[in-house]
Amino acid sequence: MSDHDGTAPVEPPTESPTEVSARFERDAMQYLDQLYGAAMRMTRNPADAEDLVQETYLKAFAAFSSFTEGTNLKAWLFRILTNTYINAYRKKQRQPYQTGTDDLSDWQLHEAESHTSRGLRSAEAEALDRLADVDVVEALAKVPEDFRMAVYLADVEGFSYKEIAEIMDTPVGTVMSRLHRGRKLLRELLEDYAIERGLIPATVGSDGGDDA
Amino acid sequence: MSCGNPHETPCSDVLEAVYDYLDGEIDDTRRALIVQHLDECGPCLQQFGLEQAIKSLVHRSCACESAPDHLRVQIVARIRQVSITYYSTEQ
Repeated sequence: MSDHDGTAPVEPPTESPTEVSARFERDAMQYLDQLYGAAMRMTRNPADAEDLVQETYLKAFAAFSSFTEGTNLKAWLFRILTNTYINAYRKKQRQPYQTGTDDLSDWQLHEAESHTSRGLRSAEAEALDRLADVDVVEALAKVPEDFRMAVYLADVEGFSYKEIAEIMDTPVGTVMSRLHRGRKLLRELLEDYAIERGLIPATVGSDGGDDA
Repeated sequence: MSCGNPHETPCSDVLEAVYDYLDGEIDDTRRALIVQHLDECGPCLQQFGLEQAIKSLVHRSCACESAPDHLRVQIVARIRQVSITYYSTEQ
């Protein structure tokens, strides 16, 4: 390994256009499904998700020469996806309840907190596990955007807090608080779906009594 | 919420660390304290179980999304096109 002194380029300088695109296809295209999944959670519709992913790949390709081989390509692509979404798509979408703020209204937090004192957790975990995927996806879509993406990046993609911080361009502490709040809200939404589907009885709180 | 028994690590500390623990973001020492607490404390264990269930549920429900085939074809075609027009004029 003699070329690790930072002077010798890893790739030959005369890499042809075909070679560059072949290298990009080989290394970057493997994340297509994952980027599309994240784009679907962001835009919440297939047409916008496709546009977003395509734009992400074109931007990534244009900047590919500045990408250092051996560093985290997946996180780099997710960061471009997030930036592209923020700059282009978020602005044009009209969703006043999802302004991307870290401040949840008091009632949202109160609602989430009020569920934590319920009993029946094991039964609840089992009930939630029986929810259909579409219900979970729909519940997640109702979580405000920044919280939703933090949860998605951690739970679906398995990114570390540090990687999420880089992708979302935010301090690690903010990532942690977004995860915390996002998961609380999501749990409440999932409980509502479980009640609606008859998986949890609506009177579940009455036999708890362990609040003391 | 507590089982009422005394623990070396208080329930509040353990519950506060639930996400760090499940996300694998804690060091071995803290992890060992939490594991010990969970062995002794049913309510905390149940709480961890619920959070773990939700984390797995989100993973299960969202991870199987695949991009439509035409998207892959389209992106690769555009990259090759850009590659030829952009990189060859630069060279």
